[in-house]
Amino acid sequence: MSDNKKVTNPNFWRSLKEYHDNDAVFTAKVNEFNEGVTDEFDPSEISPVSRRKFLALLSASAAFAVTSCTDYRDKGEIIPYTKRPEGVLPGKPNFYASTCTACEQNCGILVKTREGRPVKVDGNPDHPINKGKLCTTGQASILNLYDPDRLQYPLKGKSKTDWNEVDSSVISSFKKSISEGKEIAVLTGLITSPTTSKLLNDFVNAFPTSRVYSYGLFTNKNRLDAWKESYGSDSLPAVDFDKADVILSLDSDFLGRDGSTIENMRKYSSRRDVLNNSNFNRLYVAEGGMSLTGMNADYRLRVKPNLQLEFVLSLANEIALKRNASEIDLSGNTLSLVSKYSLNEFVEKYSLNEKYVNNLVFDLIQNKGNAIVYAGDTLSKETHLAVNLLNEILGNTPVYSNSTTTFQKPIVSTIEIKELISKMNSGKVGVVIHFDTNPVYHLPKDLGYTESLSKVNLSLTFSQSVNETSVNSNYTLPIHNDLESWNDFLTRDNIYSLQQPVIAPLFDSRQKESALLRWINENDNYSEDIYHKYLMNNFEKNIYSKFDTPTDFKTFWYTSLHDGVLELKNNSSPLSFNSNSLNNIKVESNNAITLHLQKNYFLGDGRFANNGWLQETPHPVSKIAWDNYAAVSPSTASKLSIENDDVIKIEADGKQIEIAAFVQPGMADDLIVIELGYGRTEAGDVGSNVGFNANNFIVYGNDSVKYNLDDVNISRTGKRYALASTQEHHAIDDTFVKDFHYIRKIIQEGTLQEYKENPKFLDKNKYDIFDITQPHIYEGLKWGMAIDLNKCTSCAACVTSCNVENNVPVVGKEQVAMGREMQWMRIDRYYSGTPEEPVVSAQPMLCQHCDNAPCENVCPVNATNHSSDGLNQMAYNRCVGTRYCANNCPYKVRRFNFYNFRDHFANAYYENDLTALVNNPEVTVRSRGVMEKCTFCVQRIMDERENAIREGREIIGDNVKTACQVACPTDAIVFGNINDSKSDVAKYRNHELGYHVLESLNVRPNVTYLAKLRNTHSEEV
Amino acid sequence: MKKTLLDYTLKIRLPLTLFVIAITFVITFYVSRAERDGIGYAPEQPIAFSHQLHAGLMEIDCQYCHTGIEKGRHALVPSVSTCMNCHSVARKNQPEIIRLTEYYENGKPLPWKRIHKVPDYAYFNHSVHVNNGIDCATCHGDVANMDVVQQVKGFTMGDCLECHRNPEQHLPYLEKVKVGPENCAACHR
Repeated sequence: MSDNKKVTNPNFWRSLKEYHDNDAVFTAKVNEFNEGVTDEFDPSEISPVSRRKFLALLSASAAFAVTSCTDYRDKGEIIPYTKRPEGVLPGKPNFYASTCTACEQNCGILVKTREGRPVKVDGNPDHPINKGKLCTTGQASILNLYDPDRLQYPLKGKSKTDWNEVDSSVISSFKKSISEGKEIAVLTGLITSPTTSKLLNDFVNAFPTSRVYSYGLFTNKNRLDAWKESYGSDSLPAVDFDKADVILSLDSDFLGRDGSTIENMRKYSSRRDVLNNSNFNRLYVAEGGMSLTGMNADYRLRVKPNLQLEFVLSLANEIALKRNASEIDLSGNTLSLVSKYSLNEFVEKYSLNEKYVNNLVFDLIQNKGNAIVYAGDTLSKETHLAVNLLNEILGNTPVYSNSTTTFQKPIVSTIEIKELISKMNSGKVGVVIHFDTNPVYHLPKDLGYTESLSKVNLSLTFSQSVNETSVNSNYTLPIHNDLESWNDFLTRDNIYSLQQPVIAPLFDSRQKESALLRWINENDNYSEDIYHKYLMNNFEKNIYSKFDTPTDFKTFWYTSLHDGVLELKNNSSPLSFNSNSLNNIKVESNNAITLHLQKNYFLGDGRFANNGWLQETPHPVSKIAWDNYAAVSPSTASKLSIENDDVIKIEADGKQIEIAAFVQPGMADDLIVIELGYGRTEAGDVGSNVGFNANNFIVYGNDSVKYNLDDVNISRTGKRYALASTQEHHAIDDTFVKDFHYIRKIIQEGTLQEYKENPKFLDKNKYDIFDITQPHIYEGLKWGMAIDLNKCTSCAACVTSCNVENNVPVVGKEQVAMGREMQWMRIDRYYSGTPEEPVVSAQPMLCQHCDNAPCENVCPVNATNHSSDGLNQMAYNRCVGTRYCANNCPYKVRRFNFYNFRDHFANAYYENDLTALVNNPEVTVRSRGVMEKCTFCVQRIMDERENAIREGREIIGDNVKTACQVACPTDAIVFGNINDSKSDVAKYRNHELGYHVLESLNVRPNVTYLAKLRNTHSEEV
Repeated sequence: MKKTLLDYTLKIRLPLTLFVIAITFVITFYVSRAERDGIGYAPEQPIAFSHQLHAGLMEIDCQYCHTGIEKGRHALVPSVSTCMNCHSVARKNQPEIIRLTEYYENGKPLPWKRIHKVPDYAYFNHSVHVNNGIDCATCHGDVANMDVVQQVKGFTMGDCLECHRNPEQHLPYLEKVKVGPENCAACHR
């Protein structure tokens, strides 16, 4: 912030361009639409028929039609079931409990089906881990079931074949391999299913030369290995973030990417509840990149990932030795290791914010036993070892949960992977089975996996669609989607979660477990239910017996399937720390530029690349969709003269990549962060060649996989690459003076201390608003929403839930770049402070359903108007597409169908019979030329109305749960009848911290925001 | 001033033509009104099922076949198995029943002709109407006396709103009656 612009209020800015008063942004604000929004309407392409001719034709044909109208219109047919299946009532949904496998957390899900087809996936409320909530990826994964790029039959090379041919050729290859003593390698992802694990054991027994390799693009192996060395256990405990008064996250995005994020978010935000304000936690984040967790931090320190180990040891030194506050006795090697590092020196050397670090040390010591230090999955094993030591020093182990996780198959070491490849190269491997993994894409090219694959006699890839590995394999075998499969999962060591099919297989695919089972029992014929029987059998023998229950197995099985989850009693064993684990730690400090490879937020290990909903969900921090990029800090960018959208060349470790750069405020200097999972080349029509593939930079070291590279060389290429961001447009239409962001009270914030001293501190700058007309009085029902910004982490689960519920189309990167994205809900992100150390505020924004809605007055055809229960309604059939309403909306939440987007996107990609099955039949599919926006999920309101009438009662506002509310992992969104003073939404609406965005316009919005309180130390108020 | 052909055309021929067109339009508009709204539509069904016989003479309740009506949006056309509850025994040798049994045994879809239809952008809900005590016949007419079912009432938005605004006129048999909702989102979403 330059001195002449110094203001006392936070100065909010959405982007660096805006911060520096760029003319382009200024012009963009003056102009209602982005340049190009109204392009593509070439007059020469308009039909040559003139208006007069058209009217003449119209009247002539109307007259003709009227006079010749002598027959009734055919109204089609109604075809009933021949035999109606029990429990299915057309028009009413059925819900089935199952398990999500989008990642290895295996949250419990509840699948909503209509007339036998799944239309929405939500969390299972009975599941003890995710408690009815589900992340963005899990929500959107339903689209993969209806992906038109799904493989519909087995492929031999590139041509169609059938399963019988596959079975006979595979079994004979197995026999040949065994007789020649060659290995059968099975490459799998992380295995959390006990029955799949048993099946793999059976497979190894049946084919004795086979071996199972479990690996992942990203795993928490470093954390697991460190845990084993520190505590001697393979079972990793979850962290009860709700027990922690102080949290120090070290490059760990525990709210967004690391571990059980849904559970973490719930537990973290349960300590951010303004209705119970006495026990706020305090979040410190020390990180290199800018993550979702960093956005939520009370204090944020910029520490490069390769310096985290030194930072932790310095903290240990400060706390244990300098301040003598250790809970354990340090001795021997540990003592001499820790004594080498000084926190003061570290702070000085890397110019950290001294005040923040002092606060951190103070808080950690003050809250010993109730704090937690948590390191990220991508950090080295040594860092995790040091973190375990620091937590022991602070006596923080009670914060670890009793609930532990163990993988059913150990993750293989880097050496084993390298050995496998050399065995393949020397012809010692007969068959390779890719068990729904994609190593050709995942593994860095220098390992030479692709080349070695061609030296194997037979390679098979199980996959839902063609991928990089399958095109290099002899056979591509289509597998069932999750929603067509049976399985069980150990979400935690004591929690069994069951998966059941909710639709019959759409294609000639097999569940991957069934296919293996067919080969193990080579003389039996394949039938669809072989794995189902196997699962039940295993369940009866190995799991039923663990439950002390008087019911017979059949009843037990069906009850378990119905509930979807089974919980055993927890037997936790006390932790015993082995401090010798730190004996071999070496700290390397390096001042050169570092490259950090990070997980992406939504695409998993790349397997969701072909899912348009996920590609189009903007990055939680940068708001860029449809791409990954190399993020650099503003000062490093200016040092290297890099601007946004410059293509830069990154060289490290003898590898290189050309990738678009993005200047990310708040990043550590001399650091590049690239998110992996993009740049797939064989993903399908949506996902192929989206973003950049940086997987080559992963280092398969001697003991672990490394995601940090030092000594990186960066050069400019002179090329440009347009990243599509949802950040600069749909900017709330502020005035041209920057401080007005605050003055107009779009974001209102305070500190916890400020609030405790004066709960009504927001009132001091309230406007005195008067009406020039009589305000309309709403009696009875009035719908409203409240969003608690203290709880919101901006994870975007609400956005995706809304997309699925309301049939929101995918528009593609070009359209996003033009500002035509269709999501009804977005999460606005504002920076304040300096580009180096910004404070970030996030705000979910959706239709505010204003009482005095400006959009309603300007509609020439009265397509948008107000209902008696306070809804701003939109009648699509009336809309003629003038877009006046969008122009007049101060919140910019209206979306216009510039195309029939199902028809337009990527050459009619989603206009097909298959993908149409994902549509919610309770919501109209909008067409070109129509305006649309959030309806407050009016279809769910109507469901409640129907229930109320049937049960002969009044409508209860709290019974209506909007899609975003159901999805919100932190329960930040509350919906209901604001005239009912007992409802949750009324409590929030009348809360001291409640405010409305742009209150001064007197549009009287019905979405109340609760001002965010930051839990900073009082002296900084 | 001499009268030209143009004058004749403008003063006589054109108004006359316009008048004739207008009259034709108005007459056909009103005459064909019922047809356009589908009133009187009585298509031939794949099975000559008689409501007069089943609902009238034998007094089978509507909801014996059209189930789910009080539970959800749709009033179901009965599955073929519902017919077979009786017809696996009753009148087995009648030609229409033999055809019905064929549909049932071969699992062939039975394509009933649709008679009453609201457009798919209108989300009409049977259960809220039935649970408020509105009789089926109010909209569907006296089906119990129809040999071949036909549409007797209009199903346009105007028809819906007419009853929503003046329910006491159209539903005289209800003791307590509230006006129906008139807001867009009640039917359109």
